[in-house]
Amino acid sequence: MTPTTSIRGFLRRRRFHFTRTRHCLLGLGVFALIGTQASAFTAYVSNEKSNTVSVIDTDKFTVVNTIKVGQRPRGIELTKDGKSVLVAVGDDDTIQVIDVRTHEIVATLPSGPDPELFTQDQTGKILYVANENDNTVTIIDLHRRVPLGEVQVGVEPEGMGLSPDGKILVATSETTNMAHFIDTETRRIVANVLVDARPRFAEFKRDGSEVWVSSEIGGTVSVIDPVKHEVKKKITFDIPGLRKEAIQAVGISITKDGKTGFVALGPANRIAVINAATHEVQKYLLVGQRVWHMAFTPDEKYLLTTNGVSNDVSIIDVANLKVTKTIQVGELPWGIAISQQ
Amino acid sequence: MAIAIELVLRGVALAADPRFPDWPCNQVKVPEISVAAVWAGPVIDDVGDAWEKDPAIRDLVARLAARRPPLEQAQKAISDVITGTESERQTKAKLLFAGLFKSLNDERSDVMRGIERYFRKQKEFSAQIRSTILQLRELQDRPDPDQSRVDELTNRVEWDTRVFEERRKTINFVCEVPVVIEQRLFALARAIQQSLE
Repeated sequence: MTPTTSIRGFLRRRRFHFTRTRHCLLGLGVFALIGTQASAFTAYVSNEKSNTVSVIDTDKFTVVNTIKVGQRPRGIELTKDGKSVLVAVGDDDTIQVIDVRTHEIVATLPSGPDPELFTQDQTGKILYVANENDNTVTIIDLHRRVPLGEVQVGVEPEGMGLSPDGKILVATSETTNMAHFIDTETRRIVANVLVDARPRFAEFKRDGSEVWVSSEIGGTVSVIDPVKHEVKKKITFDIPGLRKEAIQAVGISITKDGKTGFVALGPANRIAVINAATHEVQKYLLVGQRVWHMAFTPDEKYLLTTNGVSNDVSIIDVANLKVTKTIQVGELPWGIAISQQ
Repeated sequence: MAIAIELVLRGVALAADPRFPDWPCNQVKVPEISVAAVWAGPVIDDVGDAWEKDPAIRDLVARLAARRPPLEQAQKAISDVITGTESERQTKAKLLFAGLFKSLNDERSDVMRGIERYFRKQKEFSAQIRSTILQLRELQDRPDPDQSRVDELTNRVEWDTRVFEERRKTINFVCEVPVVIEQRLFALARAIQQSLE
């Protein structure tokens, strides 16, 4: 059909359709020149706009491969056996499985609609997936690649955190501003904890004593006692010269010893470094534009952050709390996972 | 094209943020970049327009703000100029950043004003097309419409809608420019800070 006949048909029929064009940010990336030595791990970064996964060698801190994946890749993790990378491709309504040796997509998982974030149990047998558009958490048998069931949660679930003993799953609900505590055995919600607006991410301390939940619009992190189901402390952020709306808490990482927490502050372009015992902010590190998620190298020497607008990944020297390098990746880098090899 | 007609009939009600009715971009309008969003170096409150009085800094600001030199070249130019004692390096870094911040922020504001001006014209144009469509409907609803007039108005709507659609696509493209300027400023600011380490 030609445009002319299309318009004429439209005018005759007088039926109207509305489609809102969406588009993401086109950006420039940068390379920094400061060299850094590291152990040889491999980082995988999901690029939400370019529909790719960038593979980074953390010895040289360079991109060594770019893998084409499905539409809108966001949540990304290594399987516990280290053989596969799982990446949620929300617009394709699935999770793709990438072989770490060949960098090829070898399977897909029945994730339910619009998967964004997910988490695995310690054995690597069970995967819990937040389905934002379906208000559910889908539970998948990773070995057999079949769904085991689903749990209805609040509107638009997003963040997923599993307690170290695997007994409690925390799913954050973007619209109801709640952290839902789900018993993984009975698959029932056992508690709902109100947090600040638009909770994004949940992270347990390794000893299970606390779960931290970030709130994007609230710009805070709620530290929750997972036994009493109470907010025991609210971490706030104050950066001179920045308006409060620009400080949006998103990704969280806590060191294995539970002493230091790192929180990505989105358009504040900074990572907050937090004393995880006192919950006081120690320092702010300027990384890249719209910093979203992060991951430690397995030795915890480095923390890698994804910066969605500057299209790069920042490398933080954890011991010295310094940003040592920047690596350009694809467009809108979102999630990151790091393997042992 | 049907999308364009639909937008026309809705009066181009595309401004996503009610605070800025003339802002058509999906990107949230942030009228000005704040220093703290891009800079964690020494405080520049005392710099003012001093950067304009230093010829070397002023020239470098003009070159880098033009957005033409690739970033690698820009980084080298920055490290070449930020030299000397610690105090001298700090002063030069502050001057250079203050100049770039002012220049790129101003340029970004100009672009944003231009986008809003363009969008206002687009709204006027949509009102004109909408009026033609209503005339056409009225004609079509008559029991014995003047077919030559119907054809004339249909052709006009078709042509104007195409023009409207082309302009709409242009706006989407232009909306990227403030983002690109902000990215450039952030990258240059980061390079300046790294040259101080």
